[in-house]
Amino acid sequence: MTWRTQANAIFRICYFYGFLALRRQPVFFVAIFLTPLSFLFFLYVVAPHSVLPYGVVGGVMFTALFTGNGMMTDCAYLRLERQLQQIFITSPLRPMSWILGMALGELAWTIPAIALFIVVLALVVPIGVLSVLGLVGVILLTWLLSTSLGFLLSTFFRQLREIWPIGMVVFTSLSVLPPIFYPIAAIPASYRWVAFLSPSTFASQLADHAGGLTVPTISVAPALSSIPVEVAGMVLLTVLFALMAMRLARWREP
Amino acid sequence: MDGLVARSLSKTYRGTSGLVRALDNVDMTIAKGRLFAFLGRNGAGKTTFLKIASALLLPTAGTVHLFGIDVVEHAREVREQIAIVPQEGKPFYHLTPREHVEEYLRVRGATRETAKSRADEVLEGMGLLSYQHIPAMVLSGGLQQRTLVAMVLATEARFLFLDEPTLGMDPFARRQVWDVIRHAARKGSTVLLTTHYLDEAEQLSEELAVIEGGHVLYQGTPEALKSKVRQEIRLHFDGGFTREELSSYGEVFAERGGFTLLTTRDRVEELTRRALERKVAITVGPVTLEEAFLTLVGRAIEEEDAEALA
Repeated sequence: MTWRTQANAIFRICYFYGFLALRRQPVFFVAIFLTPLSFLFFLYVVAPHSVLPYGVVGGVMFTALFTGNGMMTDCAYLRLERQLQQIFITSPLRPMSWILGMALGELAWTIPAIALFIVVLALVVPIGVLSVLGLVGVILLTWLLSTSLGFLLSTFFRQLREIWPIGMVVFTSLSVLPPIFYPIAAIPASYRWVAFLSPSTFASQLADHAGGLTVPTISVAPALSSIPVEVAGMVLLTVLFALMAMRLARWREP
Repeated sequence: MDGLVARSLSKTYRGTSGLVRALDNVDMTIAKGRLFAFLGRNGAGKTTFLKIASALLLPTAGTVHLFGIDVVEHAREVREQIAIVPQEGKPFYHLTPREHVEEYLRVRGATRETAKSRADEVLEGMGLLSYQHIPAMVLSGGLQQRTLVAMVLATEARFLFLDEPTLGMDPFARRQVWDVIRHAARKGSTVLLTTHYLDEAEQLSEELAVIEGGHVLYQGTPEALKSKVRQEIRLHFDGGFTREELSSYGEVFAERGGFTLLTTRDRVEELTRRALERKVAITVGPVTLEEAFLTLVGRAIEEEDAEALA
């Protein structure tokens, strides 16, 4: 298969796994939207209103990170329970095209929710076209990072029952504990660097920058507050996860 | 050129009670364009062989070549030539049978027109036209399995691996699937199928292999396998005889609440007379592939047990 037919195959997987699934079962959209919306509602009720924009950007980032959770559970499920991954990779389709197609499919599921959160953000804080473009860039980077990590984790599962508890632990740690829904300033200054142990902190800081929100300097490591360093951090982690996923993916059981 | 050549193929797993030898020095050749069946009990090594040959599993030792290409060294080239129905696979829950076939073909590089025309053909052949626009999640298990087989057979790949393709299907559906498999073979695909249905192997295969405990016990035609059983007549007794009484006449299996005896033609008259004296119903017929399989595998198990005791 040429690169063109591989690209077409990626698009087809995204179409039938992402768009068709969402069209036939719109309840998925509600499921994806509900958790970040609930967090936002919670913030609205209990926190000062100055925190609300961080919550809305958090909703965008939570949804983008959710693609990784979907990638992890879906890839493991299709391999272990349905054996569909085996059918697709024993074909002219390159394994990398399978991963990309699935990752795009996951993105397709979350696009309506992300778009809604961006609209809400525009209502809460004045944002221009550049901010939206910046946010879209961060969303794409987050999607790449999260789905790479999701696929990497999916390769470790040997039984279906492992997927949900481990997924819950990993993606709650990535999307709720770090400063996604709250400003990093809420963490005592000398401990803010700890938040950067989570790859999602890079993403949320970049998103806050893009959304025009105040991002404090990290006193211990000021470089962590700079956009180029945050972008570099995300790209580096994405490449690392993607390479590990490709290496560890069990296209062929040992 | 042969379709598949396996030489000294071995696979050892680490099981809960130590190392398990799933395949032990297997040699096998499948001619190009042949419809080949692989028979064996559960855990005999059929699926392991099929997974190695389809580049889904690495062997511990030995080689497999598909159309002359080394499966271990050149998995990518091999994958371009093959399609597989895995054992107990299931379709996407939200796609219809037509979407399964068309989308899979398009992912494999077929044009929209080719995908549509092949889908028309295979869906009709498999009796899926009435269900073609119904999402798989509301189809029965048998229809879901047919959908999976349809998407793979529609590929017309050079080598088709079918791991228990008719599992869970009703007898009518099985026959429809057999027709489509035969059609694929007539079009030039080499087919390797594993099955527990001996009638399926007898109906479909031009050649078969019997595997037990990771060893190939037999490779040849179904007819030659039947002739390997020394007895040529099967008698089924609904009761009235003990196993010990019958075993002096030939091989005995407990079956359907009675016993099936494989014996020679010259003993039939005597046995019929004895059955009539005891007013016991008997059925007489030629030895089937199933009995030949049971005899062959049964002997292998007995030999293995005897070796273990010694």
